[in-house]
Amino acid sequence: MPAVRTEGVWKVFEHDGQVVEAVRGVTLAIEPGEFVVLAGPSGSGKTTLLNLLGGLTRPTRGGVWIDGQDLTTMRPRDLAHLRLQRVGFVFQDYNLLPVLSAAENAEFTLLLRGMPQEERERRVREVFQAVGLQGLEDRRPTKLSGGQQQRVAVARAVVGEPALVLADEPTANLDRAASDALLDLMAELNRSRGTTFVFATHDPQLMERARRLIRLVDGAVETDDRRA
Amino acid sequence: MNPRVRLILQLATRNVRRQARRSVLTALAMVLGVAVLAFARTLGDGGHEDWIDAGVRLGTGHIALQAPRFQASRNLNDRLGADARARATAWLREPWVRERVVAVAPRLEIQGLASSAAAAVPIMVTGVDPAIETEFSRLGDNVIEGAYLSPDDRLHAFVGERLASRLELQIGSRLVLSAQDASGEIASQLVRVAGIFRIGLPEADAGMVQIPIRTAREWLGLGDDVTTLAVLLESGWVVDEVLRDLRGLAAGDAEVAVVGWREAMPELDAAIRMDDWGDYVFNFVLYGIITLAIVNTVLMSVLYRTREFGVLQALGLTRGQTAAVVVTEGMILTAVSGLVGLGLGLGLTWLLFRNGLDYSAMLDSEFTFSGVVLDPVIIPAFRWQQVGRSLVAIAVVGTLASLYPAYRATRIDVAEATKFEA
Repeated sequence: MPAVRTEGVWKVFEHDGQVVEAVRGVTLAIEPGEFVVLAGPSGSGKTTLLNLLGGLTRPTRGGVWIDGQDLTTMRPRDLAHLRLQRVGFVFQDYNLLPVLSAAENAEFTLLLRGMPQEERERRVREVFQAVGLQGLEDRRPTKLSGGQQQRVAVARAVVGEPALVLADEPTANLDRAASDALLDLMAELNRSRGTTFVFATHDPQLMERARRLIRLVDGAVETDDRRA
Repeated sequence: MNPRVRLILQLATRNVRRQARRSVLTALAMVLGVAVLAFARTLGDGGHEDWIDAGVRLGTGHIALQAPRFQASRNLNDRLGADARARATAWLREPWVRERVVAVAPRLEIQGLASSAAAAVPIMVTGVDPAIETEFSRLGDNVIEGAYLSPDDRLHAFVGERLASRLELQIGSRLVLSAQDASGEIASQLVRVAGIFRIGLPEADAGMVQIPIRTAREWLGLGDDVTTLAVLLESGWVVDEVLRDLRGLAAGDAEVAVVGWREAMPELDAAIRMDDWGDYVFNFVLYGIITLAIVNTVLMSVLYRTREFGVLQALGLTRGQTAAVVVTEGMILTAVSGLVGLGLGLGLTWLLFRNGLDYSAMLDSEFTFSGVVLDPVIIPAFRWQQVGRSLVAIAVVGTLASLYPAYRATRIDVAEATKFEA
């Protein structure tokens, strides 16, 4: 069963009387363990498609399934529950919660799941080791560099071992070295944990690493290339 | 603690602390508002307690045990006979009633005429037990000439200043009291003025005479009968409770009615209710202003954090949990400032005015209201019941003030919110 699948999905916005077709009839299936990049110029619909895949927005037409569950018919509460259990997000601007420390940001979804304290601590410890953030657990996001913040965001996305991680321009605010380090980290998590990653980006460095590159133009899939 | 509850509390607490200046400014408004309300409420309750105390002491107590028709007829034929009085006295000795009773004064209230060589005027003669009445009505505190009745007095009278003036009476002067006796005949009794009082209430100063109850009984041939057993309780706050108990005991007794001060003095009851309504309106307005201040702070905080709420919901926080975070923030802000305000208000009132707030400089003479002479010194009343009500009001304000901001936080477009720039 695909980790995530869309069937003829459309997303149409109305803005100041103008109708914008952000995503137009996209059909695709992403299998578990894939490392996929959605590429395309600005306004091509990458972020909107990513939001549709993660259930952050509902399609105008068509369907989206995560692990076989139809997102379009779900109630908001069930959708929130599905995101909590099955999806991890990495945002372009990190979007860490400023009132929580680095470790608490990572622990957030585990607390929401009602996980016991010992298990939470173990997982956070392990993931901080994996992303190389040991010793920075108690720092607030404002006391971390951009690269460190994005690592915390990755830690938060993968700590709950979701089936699918969606990352929107994760390297956009990072320098080359930090980008490399971050992508190495996610590739390693993909290999070692089998986590499915879907990126939206126009960063060539990230596109080079993709094992499947889906190019979007004007909201529609132009090419869908799998690499060895 | 449940991890989800812990998370919501953690987020809410830290968010309140995060906007420290805004939170403190809003909290100050709440602190001052609640402090003013606590001050006004304790003085208001204290004032009402004084009104009731003054009214019931001069009237028929917090509770009166009378013949069922006496309250309306004021006729001597509607009195408590020996058996009825014995039963009523027994009820008052029941342990759960007795412990809240301070004094029971037997009284004979007689409408009659007072005559002297100078004039004759209609009056209300009250036969009293001087030993009990000294503590009950405290009329002895208002003597301007002579002395209050003593237990050994027989043919003595304690008269109001205006009545004494009209009848041209002095200490030792004789006056004749006339009224209908038990057999319906007009009977007269000669008494001498033992003391003259002034309480500032025109109807009492001009038309009230107290004589020893045994003199009244002999004069009118009433044996041990009384018109009223006036009951003074430890405070006005237990009246309803004791009334309920006594009415339970008196159920089915056709000869004894249990009358609360509210029925006996409907004007005073109405005055207190009106004053309470005024207070409630004031409270409502002030709490309304406080609510708007809290709404403003919490709503601003929510709008400022649109992106965060988007992220929280993207990560799996449900709408209900999002609302819980916002409501908890409002509750924390309201609870902390409300409790500080309540403590400040009660504390300052106790510190500065526990012995009373003296209004006498604002009054020219005795101030009467609804048949009661008001004490110009108001002693604040501190009641757990009022503290409880204030806490409930604070909780309600906190919840109400957070509902709209919470609704706004749950209605965001999650995908858009994660890109929102404050």
